Amino acid sequence: MTTEISHISVQYSKTIGRGEQFGPGFTYPINVARGKEGIMYVLCRGTEFRPEGVRVVVCTTDEEYISVFARGIDYQGPHAHNMDDGALVWPTSIALDSQENLFISDEWLNRISSFSKDGDFLGKWEERTGSGDGELDRPSGMAFDADDNLYIVDSGNHRVQKFNKDGKYLAQFGTYGSGDGQFDMPWGITIDEAGDIYIADWRNDRIQKFKPDGKFLMKFGNSGSGEGEFDRPTGVAVDQDGVIYVSDWLNNRLQIFDETGKFIDLKTGEAGLSKWGKAKLDANPEMYGERDRAQGLEREKDFWGPTGVTVDDEGNIFVPESARNRIQVYKSQSPTFAGPRL
Amino acid sequence: MSEQDISQIAHLMRRAGFGAPLEELQARAAKGYDATVDELLDPESQPPMERDMMMRYKVDWFSQAGLEGQQEEWTFRMINSKRPLQEKIALFWHCVLVTGHAKCEYPKQQAMELDMFRTVGMGSFHELLKGLSKDPAMVFYLDNCMSHKGAINENWGRELLELFSLGVGMDGDFNYSEDDVKEAARAFTGWTVTNSVPRYPYGKYDAKFMFDPRDHDAEEKTFLGETGNFNGEDIVDIIVKQPATARFVARHLYNFFVADDVQVPAWKDTPPQDIEAIKMLEEEYFRSNYNITAMLQVLFKSDFFKNSTFSKVKSPAETVIGTLKLVGDFKFPRPGLDLMTMNIRYMGQDLLNPPTVEGWHTGREWIDSGTLVERINFTADQVGNINHSGVKNIINRLSSVGPVLTAEQLVEGCLENLGAYQLADETRKQLLEMAESDGEIRTDSEGFPLQVGTMLQSIVATTEYLFA
Repeated sequence: MTTEISHISVQYSKTIGRGEQFGPGFTYPINVARGKEGIMYVLCRGTEFRPEGVRVVVCTTDEEYISVFARGIDYQGPHAHNMDDGALVWPTSIALDSQENLFISDEWLNRISSFSKDGDFLGKWEERTGSGDGELDRPSGMAFDADDNLYIVDSGNHRVQKFNKDGKYLAQFGTYGSGDGQFDMPWGITIDEAGDIYIADWRNDRIQKFKPDGKFLMKFGNSGSGEGEFDRPTGVAVDQDGVIYVSDWLNNRLQIFDETGKFIDLKTGEAGLSKWGKAKLDANPEMYGERDRAQGLEREKDFWGPTGVTVDDEGNIFVPESARNRIQVYKSQSPTFAGPRL
Repeated sequence: MSEQDISQIAHLMRRAGFGAPLEELQARAAKGYDATVDELLDPESQPPMERDMMMRYKVDWFSQAGLEGQQEEWTFRMINSKRPLQEKIALFWHCVLVTGHAKCEYPKQQAMELDMFRTVGMGSFHELLKGLSKDPAMVFYLDNCMSHKGAINENWGRELLELFSLGVGMDGDFNYSEDDVKEAARAFTGWTVTNSVPRYPYGKYDAKFMFDPRDHDAEEKTFLGETGNFNGEDIVDIIVKQPATARFVARHLYNFFVADDVQVPAWKDTPPQDIEAIKMLEEEYFRSNYNITAMLQVLFKSDFFKNSTFSKVKSPAETVIGTLKLVGDFKFPRPGLDLMTMNIRYMGQDLLNPPTVEGWHTGREWIDSGTLVERINFTADQVGNINHSGVKNIINRLSSVGPVLTAEQLVEGCLENLGAYQLADETRKQLLEMAESDGEIRTDSEGFPLQVGTMLQSIVATTEYLFA
């Protein structure tokens, strides 16, 4: 009898980020989008106390800082917000269209804002709070399909809506519940190469897969902390080989499944010192001493509340941990024999 | 159900919780006073907070890494918890067993301490003191991690006796000596915390309590008349069986839940204002093996409690939380809550960051010319906002009385909706005159909601409304 080895192998690659309100670093990074030529856009949720921390940080996958744009909202009272164009309150996800324009969902303003890849504000969809066709209640995850249509997880309405990138409503699927095709406060979304849609059905602790027209295809996962079980999955991503990655929020891990939803592996985190992190310590050498004395430093490796997962065409898997102000990067490797060294 | 029933339930909910809108008071009154007390004392019978939802929208409530976020989260809990007494008891112990953000290595440690107050704070005081002795936030706050064998730091030993258990004295006598402080400090040597992970680059991690036997003074000690090779747990064992500890817990419960007392430093020489009530609580302390829930059961069902309406000045937390519950705001996490928590601070109670280890002075000391203005402005702004769902409910209830209200119906209706408040005759007369000055009060008129809002504002600006 032969021992079956999975064709899927995922290994830790590196860690990006550090906690900062300005410049190189993140403030509660909640979602990541990959651009071209090694660019990545990191959406920082920030807090209402420090609106400057709410922003998009542009950097490379090699942790070269490029720029920052957008900001939070200064508000004048508990019911009075300054809703300037381009400002964000509760930004949740970021999606790139084919031109690499950025679309950002804001689940407080029920607004979709768009920016150029250089950070110029392009526009916003008119606010559309509600539950009717095309209306939004806490838009969470977003993903573009190959035709530049934008699928938005309309979490408060427990459904997914489809728009063109100008914001014209096209279609929807899903209702509240726990049956097939129903949702309970869904969060993350991804679209695979075939155009099929995967939803992190957050409070149902499962992943659901749909045809582009919303026809239910499959589901996997249920509540728990065992293999293949979830405690509030936040994000889902599918790589070129159809491998499915799920950020398992309150279980503090990344789970990996094959294209049928069969559990393959899980990662609990292996974070190391990031380039920006090392720069911070080099500039404050006394921190090295503090770290030498610290008890339980190995806890730094562990995931803590991963809020999403993004894959790119190079086999990189990005897992933002908002509470740790960093992104752990894993890499998909082929375990198949690659031939002898030449 | 009678007005008396509503009034009594309103009193109970103000003290054992943070007040409640009239519809909740009516529902609880229908169940009965004793049944409501029993439910409040059994928080596990009610659903917990939906923390997943809270952390999803308020990401900093996940990490609990900063003071502002924690104040917000606690405010949200106090407004929305289906276990109001659990939050109230956490507030009670926070006011007694004090740690402060100003001297806190990692704010999440205070959040963990609050969780201990929620889970252990209604159980055995014995267990609570043991937990507190090992609480990393406390060990750091009162320097026990700086107390070593042969070189004690007395801070924890002193405050444990003076402010956390025995109190300086009772009935004119001292409860402990300076030697007892030193001996207690010796017994707690070696009770320390681990070095924490520094803040950069990924944020701190909680420190852990640890016992270092090499740094523990295991020699003989004499403490409160007993001699032995005591460690910290032995000290707590001795403390909890002292009559002074029963007096301390009883008097604090009375001051927080029943009626304003003199401040703690005066307890040695100033007897309790109701010694019979204190003795009932002391007896229950020993009978129940130091159980706080048992003491509260006696307290809430006693005549001295039922007769204590409006004999306490509301704390800033009670003022803000009670008002927000009443007007129905912040039922769901949303931006702007930090401004509400700021109001608690402006009124003189910076939650999680008390001024000293003694906590806040209570009663009339909450009120000065500055905090009074903050208090009235805040409450008036809230109850005068006729867009709040809770205020709309009040308007609708008053409208349902009939097409025309008398001035008396408007005033009495507003008082009932605010929690069966009672006014001095002179205050009531002035409010009636104000209501009459508008002429006929038609509930179907465009101006009626504003009339109600104005009346509510006038009531919350009275001296009577400062009290609970």
